[in-house]
Amino acid sequence: MMRCGEREAFFLPLGDGQRFCLYTPALNGREKAAVVYIHPLAEELNKTRQMVAVQVAALARAGCAVLQIDLLGCGDSSGDFGDASWLVWRDDVVEACRWLRSRSAAPLWLWGLRAGALLAVEAAGQLPEASNLLFWQPVQAGRQAMQQLLRLAALAGGVGDGGLGAAIGGLQDELAKGGAIEVAGYRLGPALSGGLEAARLLPPLGRSGRVVWFDVSNREMPEILPSTAALLAQWQSAGFETAYRILSGPAFWQTAEIECAPALIDATAAIFQAAP
Amino acid sequence: MTFDWATGHGPIMPRLEKKVLERPLDIRNEVLEILDEVLSLKGRALKFSDETVLLGALPELDSMAVLGVISSLEERFGISVDDDDIDGSTFASVGTLVGYVSQKLKG
Repeated sequence: MMRCGEREAFFLPLGDGQRFCLYTPALNGREKAAVVYIHPLAEELNKTRQMVAVQVAALARAGCAVLQIDLLGCGDSSGDFGDASWLVWRDDVVEACRWLRSRSAAPLWLWGLRAGALLAVEAAGQLPEASNLLFWQPVQAGRQAMQQLLRLAALAGGVGDGGLGAAIGGLQDELAKGGAIEVAGYRLGPALSGGLEAARLLPPLGRSGRVVWFDVSNREMPEILPSTAALLAQWQSAGFETAYRILSGPAFWQTAEIECAPALIDATAAIFQAAP
Repeated sequence: MTFDWATGHGPIMPRLEKKVLERPLDIRNEVLEILDEVLSLKGRALKFSDETVLLGALPELDSMAVLGVISSLEERFGISVDDDDIDGSTFASVGTLVGYVSQKLKG
Protein backbone atom coordinates (compact mmCIF):
# COMPACT_ATOMS: atom_id res chain seq x y z
CA MET A 1 0.00 0.00 0.00
CA MET A 2 1.51 3.31 -1.03
CA ARG A 3 1.57 6.04 1.59
CA CYS A 4 2.17 9.75 1.39
CA GLY A 5 4.68 9.61 4.20
CA GLU A 6 4.15 8.28 7.68
CA ARG A 7 1.90 9.20 10.59
CA GLU A 8 3.55 11.90 12.72
CA ALA A 9 3.04 13.03 16.28
CA PHE A 10 4.84 16.31 16.97
CA PHE A 11 4.77 19.60 18.83
CA LEU A 12 4.09 22.72 16.79
CA PRO A 13 5.72 25.78 18.36
CA LEU A 14 3.11 28.53 18.67
CA GLY A 15 3.22 31.70 20.69
CA ASP A 16 5.09 31.11 23.93
CA GLY A 17 4.34 27.42 23.90
CA GLN A 18 3.65 24.42 21.74
CA ARG A 19 0.67 22.47 20.48
CA PHE A 20 0.52 18.71 20.30
CA CYS A 21 -0.36 17.63 16.76
CA LEU A 22 -1.06 14.34 15.07
CA TYR A 23 -0.73 14.10 11.28
CA THR A 24 -2.23 11.17 9.42
CA PRO A 25 -1.38 10.98 5.73
CA ALA A 26 -3.81 9.76 3.09
CA LEU A 27 -3.47 6.12 2.14
CA ASN A 28 -2.91 5.10 -1.47
CA GLY A 29 -1.29 8.32 -2.58
CA ARG A 30 -4.11 10.24 -4.23
CA GLU A 31 -5.17 12.94 -1.80
CA LYS A 32 -8.78 14.01 -2.05
CA ALA A 33 -8.72 16.48 0.83
CA ALA A 34 -6.59 18.03 3.57
CA VAL A 35 -8.61 18.01 6.81
CA VAL A 36 -7.91 19.94 10.00
CA TYR A 37 -9.86 18.62 13.00
CA ILE A 38 -10.97 21.04 15.73
CA HIS A 39 -11.92 19.35 19.00
CA PRO A 40 -14.73 20.22 21.43
CA LEU A 41 -14.45 21.77 24.91
CA ALA A 42 -13.43 20.31 28.24
CA GLU A 43 -14.84 16.85 28.99
CA GLU A 44 -16.32 16.52 25.51
CA LEU A 45 -12.74 16.37 24.21
CA ASN A 46 -12.03 13.34 26.38
CA LYS A 47 -15.33 11.59 25.67
CA THR A 48 -14.87 11.87 21.89
CA ARG A 49 -11.23 10.85 21.43
CA GLN A 50 -12.02 7.29 20.40
CA MET A 51 -14.76 8.23 17.95
CA VAL A 52 -12.47 10.79 16.34
CA ALA A 53 -9.58 8.31 16.10
CA VAL A 54 -11.84 5.85 14.27
CA GLN A 55 -12.96 8.62 11.93
CA VAL A 56 -9.43 9.80 11.17
CA ALA A 57 -8.46 6.27 10.16
CA ALA A 58 -11.54 6.06 7.92
CA LEU A 59 -10.72 9.44 6.38
CA ALA A 60 -7.14 8.34 5.65
CA ARG A 61 -8.54 5.28 3.85
CA ALA A 62 -10.88 7.58 1.93
CA GLY A 63 -7.92 9.61 0.70
CA CYS A 64 -7.70 12.46 3.22
CA ALA A 65 -4.63 13.83 4.93
CA VAL A 66 -5.72 14.77 8.46
CA LEU A 67 -4.15 17.05 11.07
CA GLN A 68 -5.39 16.94 14.64
CA ILE A 69 -4.25 19.73 16.98
CA ASP A 70 -4.70 20.08 20.73
CA LEU A 71 -5.54 23.73 21.31
CA LEU A 72 -3.74 25.84 23.95
CA GLY A 73 -4.38 24.42 27.38
CA CYS A 74 -6.02 21.27 26.04
CA GLY A 75 -4.85 17.67 25.75
CA ASP A 76 -1.07 17.45 25.51
CA SER A 77 -0.46 21.04 24.46
CA SER A 78 1.25 23.57 26.67
CA GLY A 79 -0.64 26.01 28.85
CA ASP A 80 -3.63 25.72 31.14
CA PHE A 81 -7.26 25.68 30.09
CA GLY A 82 -7.68 28.68 32.36
CA ASP A 83 -5.22 30.67 30.24
CA ALA A 84 -6.94 29.85 26.96
CA SER A 85 -8.44 32.59 24.82
CA TRP A 86 -10.91 32.25 21.99
CA LEU A 87 -8.72 34.32 19.65
CA VAL A 88 -5.59 32.30 20.45
CA TRP A 89 -7.56 29.15 19.72
CA ARG A 90 -8.73 30.61 16.42
CA ASP A 91 -5.11 31.40 15.55
CA ASP A 92 -4.07 27.86 16.60
CA VAL A 93 -6.48 26.54 13.97
CA VAL A 94 -5.17 28.96 11.33
CA GLU A 95 -1.61 27.83 12.05
CA ALA A 96 -2.68 24.20 11.86
CA CYS A 97 -4.10 24.88 8.41
CA ARG A 98 -0.86 26.54 7.38
CA TRP A 99 1.14 23.51 8.55
CA LEU A 100 -1.13 21.09 6.72
CA ARG A 101 -0.89 23.21 3.59
CA SER A 102 2.88 22.68 3.69
CA ARG A 103 2.21 18.93 3.38
CA SER A 104 -0.80 18.77 1.10
CA ALA A 105 -2.12 20.67 -1.89
CA ALA A 106 -5.54 19.03 -1.67
CA PRO A 107 -8.74 21.03 -0.98
CA LEU A 108 -8.85 22.21 2.63
CA TRP A 109 -11.59 21.10 5.02
CA LEU A 110 -12.09 22.31 8.57
CA TRP A 111 -13.87 19.62 10.60
CA GLY A 112 -15.30 20.86 13.89
CA LEU A 113 -17.09 18.85 16.57
CA ARG A 114 -19.55 20.67 18.87
CA ALA A 115 -18.00 24.03 19.88
CA GLY A 116 -15.08 23.13 17.61
CA ALA A 117 -17.42 23.94 14.72
CA LEU A 118 -17.68 27.54 15.96
CA LEU A 119 -13.89 27.79 15.91
CA ALA A 120 -13.79 26.25 12.45
CA VAL A 121 -16.05 29.04 11.20
CA GLU A 122 -13.90 31.73 12.87
CA ALA A 123 -10.72 30.28 11.40
CA ALA A 124 -12.26 29.89 7.93
CA GLY A 125 -12.85 33.63 7.90
CA GLN A 126 -9.16 34.25 8.57
CA LEU A 127 -7.59 31.89 6.07
CA PRO A 128 -5.87 33.22 2.95
CA GLU A 129 -7.54 30.51 0.87
CA ALA A 130 -10.94 28.94 0.37
CA SER A 131 -11.94 26.14 2.69
CA ASN A 132 -14.80 23.72 3.18
CA LEU A 133 -16.50 23.04 6.49
CA LEU A 134 -17.65 19.85 8.15
CA PHE A 135 -19.78 20.23 11.27
CA TRP A 136 -20.44 17.38 13.64
CA GLN A 137 -23.36 18.18 15.98
CA PRO A 138 -22.27 21.82 16.00
CA VAL A 139 -23.06 24.21 18.81
CA GLN A 140 -25.15 26.81 16.99
CA ALA A 141 -24.20 29.76 19.16
CA GLY A 142 -21.40 30.05 21.70
CA ARG A 143 -23.93 31.43 24.17
CA GLN A 144 -25.47 27.93 24.35
CA ALA A 145 -22.09 26.39 25.17
CA MET A 146 -21.54 29.07 27.83
CA GLN A 147 -24.94 28.36 29.36
CA GLN A 148 -24.01 24.68 29.62
CA LEU A 149 -20.62 25.50 31.17
CA LEU A 150 -22.15 27.92 33.68
CA ARG A 151 -24.83 25.40 34.64
CA LEU A 152 -22.18 22.71 35.05
CA ALA A 153 -20.05 25.02 37.17
CA ALA A 154 -23.01 25.94 39.37
CA LEU A 155 -24.21 22.34 39.75
CA ALA A 156 -20.76 20.91 40.39
CA GLY A 157 -19.79 23.75 42.69
CA GLY A 158 -22.86 23.36 44.83
CA VAL A 159 -26.03 25.41 44.45
CA GLY A 160 -26.78 27.73 47.35
CA ASP A 161 -30.12 28.77 48.80
CA GLY A 162 -30.71 31.17 45.95
CA GLY A 163 -31.12 28.38 43.42
CA LEU A 164 -29.23 27.67 40.22
CA GLY A 165 -30.13 30.99 38.61
CA ALA A 166 -28.54 32.98 41.43
CA ALA A 167 -25.47 30.74 41.46
CA ILE A 168 -25.02 31.27 37.73
CA GLY A 169 -25.44 35.02 38.20
CA GLY A 170 -22.60 34.98 40.70
CA LEU A 171 -20.35 33.15 38.25
CA GLN A 172 -21.18 35.62 35.48
CA ASP A 173 -20.30 38.50 37.82
CA GLU A 174 -16.94 36.89 38.50
CA LEU A 175 -16.17 36.62 34.79
CA ALA A 176 -17.34 40.19 34.18
CA LYS A 177 -14.89 41.38 36.83
CA GLY A 178 -12.08 39.66 34.94
CA GLY A 179 -11.83 36.63 37.16
CA ALA A 180 -11.83 32.95 36.26
CA ILE A 181 -14.43 30.40 37.39
CA GLU A 182 -14.19 26.70 38.16
CA VAL A 183 -16.17 24.41 35.85
CA ALA A 184 -16.07 20.83 37.14
CA GLY A 185 -12.27 20.69 37.26
CA TYR A 186 -11.54 23.18 34.49
CA ARG A 187 -10.69 26.86 35.04
CA LEU A 188 -12.56 29.09 32.63
CA GLY A 189 -11.26 32.64 32.14
CA PRO A 190 -12.88 35.71 30.57
CA ALA A 191 -10.62 35.63 27.50
CA LEU A 192 -12.23 32.33 26.58
CA SER A 193 -15.75 32.96 27.86
CA GLY A 194 -16.02 36.33 26.14
CA GLY A 195 -15.03 34.98 22.74
CA LEU A 196 -17.15 31.86 23.13
CA GLU A 197 -20.18 33.87 24.21
CA ALA A 198 -20.02 35.94 21.02
CA ALA A 199 -19.36 33.07 18.62
CA ARG A 200 -22.05 32.23 16.05
CA LEU A 201 -22.32 29.50 13.43
CA LEU A 202 -22.71 32.07 10.66
CA PRO A 203 -21.02 32.15 7.26
CA PRO A 204 -17.86 34.27 7.12
CA LEU A 205 -18.13 37.24 4.77
CA GLY A 206 -16.87 37.03 1.24
CA ARG A 207 -16.26 33.28 1.32
CA SER A 208 -17.70 30.23 -0.38
CA GLY A 209 -17.21 26.51 -0.37
CA ARG A 210 -18.97 23.38 0.82
CA VAL A 211 -20.60 23.02 4.21
CA VAL A 212 -21.58 19.58 5.43
CA TRP A 213 -23.55 19.50 8.69
CA PHE A 214 -24.16 16.18 10.41
CA ASP A 215 -26.24 15.79 13.55
CA VAL A 216 -26.62 12.55 15.49
CA SER A 217 -29.83 11.28 17.03
CA ASN A 218 -31.11 8.04 18.50
CA ARG A 219 -34.73 8.88 17.74
CA GLU A 220 -36.66 6.70 15.34
CA MET A 221 -37.79 9.61 13.19
CA PRO A 222 -35.53 12.56 13.91
CA GLU A 223 -36.43 15.96 12.49
CA ILE A 224 -34.33 18.94 11.56
CA LEU A 225 -34.57 21.69 14.16
CA PRO A 226 -36.06 24.97 12.90
CA SER A 227 -32.92 26.77 14.10
CA THR A 228 -30.76 24.39 12.06
CA ALA A 229 -32.85 24.94 8.96
CA ALA A 230 -32.65 28.70 9.43
CA LEU A 231 -28.86 28.62 9.77
CA LEU A 232 -28.44 26.38 6.74
CA ALA A 233 -30.56 28.81 4.73
CA GLN A 234 -28.17 31.60 5.73
CA TRP A 235 -25.18 29.58 4.56
CA GLN A 236 -26.94 28.88 1.27
CA SER A 237 -27.80 32.57 0.80
CA ALA A 238 -24.15 33.40 1.39
CA GLY A 239 -23.19 31.19 -1.54
CA PHE A 240 -22.09 27.99 0.21
CA GLU A 241 -23.06 24.54 -1.03
CA THR A 242 -24.74 22.95 1.95
CA ALA A 243 -25.64 19.41 2.85
CA TYR A 244 -27.37 18.24 6.03
CA ARG A 245 -28.11 14.85 7.51
CA ILE A 246 -29.17 13.38 10.81
CA LEU A 247 -27.32 10.12 11.40
CA SER A 248 -28.56 7.42 13.72
CA GLY A 249 -26.40 7.02 16.80
CA PRO A 250 -25.77 7.93 20.44
CA ALA A 251 -24.81 11.41 21.71
CA PHE A 252 -21.22 10.22 22.01
CA TRP A 253 -19.94 13.65 23.17
CA GLN A 254 -22.02 13.46 26.36
CA THR A 255 -22.85 9.83 27.19
CA ALA A 256 -21.64 8.45 30.50
CA GLU A 257 -19.68 5.73 28.72
CA ILE A 258 -17.54 6.08 25.61
CA GLU A 259 -19.74 5.33 22.62
CA CYS A 260 -19.34 5.22 18.87
CA ALA A 261 -21.65 6.21 16.01
CA PRO A 262 -20.74 4.03 13.00
CA ALA A 263 -23.33 5.66 10.76
CA LEU A 264 -21.59 8.99 11.25
CA ILE A 265 -18.20 7.44 10.46
CA ASP A 266 -19.53 6.04 7.19
CA ALA A 267 -21.36 9.21 6.15
CA THR A 268 -18.29 11.36 6.85
CA ALA A 269 -15.95 9.12 4.86
CA ALA A 270 -18.54 9.04 2.05
CA ILE A 271 -18.16 12.80 1.55
CA PHE A 272 -14.68 12.19 0.20
CA GLN A 273 -15.42 8.96 -1.62
CA ALA A 274 -17.66 10.75 -4.12
CA ALA A 275 -16.22 11.79 -7.45
CA PRO A 276 -15.03 15.43 -7.24
CA MET B 1 -23.34 5.14 0.32
CA THR B 2 -21.89 7.87 -1.85
CA PHE B 3 -22.64 11.53 -1.94
CA ASP B 4 -22.87 13.02 -5.40
CA TRP B 5 -22.15 16.73 -5.19
CA ALA B 6 -22.75 17.15 -8.91
CA THR B 7 -26.36 16.07 -8.86
CA GLY B 8 -27.08 16.91 -5.26
CA HIS B 9 -28.37 13.41 -4.77
CA GLY B 10 -27.40 11.39 -1.78
CA PRO B 11 -27.61 11.97 1.91
CA ILE B 12 -29.05 15.50 1.90
CA MET B 13 -32.22 16.74 3.50
CA PRO B 14 -33.36 18.74 0.50
CA ARG B 15 -36.38 20.53 1.90
CA LEU B 16 -35.72 22.60 4.98
CA GLU B 17 -39.28 23.10 6.11
CA LYS B 18 -40.91 22.87 9.48
CA LYS B 19 -42.58 19.52 9.93
CA VAL B 20 -45.56 18.86 12.12
CA LEU B 21 -45.29 15.96 14.53
CA GLU B 22 -47.85 13.44 13.39
CA ARG B 23 -47.51 10.93 16.20
CA PRO B 24 -48.80 11.75 19.66
CA LEU B 25 -45.93 11.92 22.12
CA ASP B 26 -45.57 9.24 24.74
CA ILE B 27 -43.79 11.50 27.18
CA ARG B 28 -42.77 8.88 29.71
CA ASN B 29 -41.35 6.63 27.00
CA GLU B 30 -39.36 9.46 25.46
CA VAL B 31 -38.03 10.53 28.88
CA LEU B 32 -36.96 6.98 29.69
CA GLU B 33 -35.22 6.68 26.33
CA ILE B 34 -33.31 9.88 27.02
CA LEU B 35 -32.28 8.69 30.49
CA ASP B 36 -31.19 5.36 29.05
CA GLU B 37 -29.11 6.97 26.31
CA VAL B 38 -27.44 9.77 28.26
CA LEU B 39 -26.63 7.55 31.24
CA SER B 40 -25.57 4.59 29.04
CA LEU B 41 -27.96 2.29 30.93
CA LYS B 42 -28.26 -0.19 28.06
CA GLY B 43 -32.01 -0.64 28.30
CA ARG B 44 -32.35 -0.60 32.10
CA ALA B 45 -34.17 2.75 32.10
CA LEU B 46 -36.94 1.36 29.92
CA LYS B 47 -38.07 -0.72 32.90
CA PHE B 48 -38.31 2.27 35.28
CA SER B 49 -41.65 3.24 36.76
CA ASP B 50 -42.89 6.64 37.95
CA GLU B 51 -41.71 5.71 41.45
CA THR B 52 -38.14 4.99 40.39
CA VAL B 53 -35.85 7.36 42.28
CA LEU B 54 -33.34 9.21 40.10
CA LEU B 55 -31.19 11.82 41.88
CA GLY B 56 -29.24 10.19 44.65
CA ALA B 57 -30.10 6.65 43.55
CA LEU B 58 -28.46 6.55 40.12
CA PRO B 59 -24.68 6.94 40.39
CA GLU B 60 -24.55 7.75 36.68
CA LEU B 61 -26.66 10.87 37.26
CA ASP B 62 -23.88 13.34 38.05
CA SER B 63 -23.82 17.06 37.15
CA MET B 64 -22.71 16.43 33.59
CA ALA B 65 -25.37 13.78 33.09
CA VAL B 66 -28.09 16.07 34.49
CA LEU B 67 -27.13 18.65 31.87
CA GLY B 68 -27.02 16.00 29.17
CA VAL B 69 -30.53 14.90 30.09
CA ILE B 70 -31.72 18.51 30.08
CA SER B 71 -30.28 19.27 26.65
CA SER B 72 -31.81 16.08 25.25
CA LEU B 73 -35.18 16.98 26.79
CA GLU B 74 -34.98 20.47 25.33
CA GLU B 75 -34.20 19.15 21.90
CA ARG B 76 -36.66 16.28 21.85
CA PHE B 77 -39.63 18.18 23.28
CA GLY B 78 -38.82 21.66 22.00
CA ILE B 79 -38.98 23.06 25.53
CA SER B 80 -36.65 25.53 27.20
CA VAL B 81 -35.55 24.56 30.70
CA ASP B 82 -35.03 27.50 33.05
CA ASP B 83 -32.01 27.58 35.35
CA ASP B 84 -34.21 27.52 38.42
CA ASP B 85 -36.07 24.41 37.23
CA ILE B 86 -32.82 22.47 37.53
CA ASP B 87 -33.03 21.23 41.07
CA GLY B 88 -33.49 18.17 43.20
CA SER B 89 -37.28 18.18 43.03
CA THR B 90 -37.41 18.03 39.22
CA PHE B 91 -34.98 15.13 39.09
CA ALA B 92 -36.21 13.33 42.20
CA SER B 93 -37.94 10.52 40.35
CA VAL B 94 -39.13 9.43 36.93
CA GLY B 95 -42.58 10.68 37.92
CA THR B 96 -41.40 14.19 38.84
CA LEU B 97 -39.32 14.48 35.67
CA VAL B 98 -42.17 13.29 33.42
CA GLY B 99 -44.50 15.65 35.28
CA TYR B 100 -42.12 18.55 34.69
CA VAL B 101 -41.91 17.87 30.94
CA SER B 102 -45.71 17.48 30.68
CA GLN B 103 -46.20 20.79 32.44
CA LYS B 104 -43.69 22.57 30.18
CA LEU B 105 -45.44 21.20 27.10
CA LYS B 106 -48.78 22.59 28.23
CA GLY B 107 -47.43 26.02 29.18
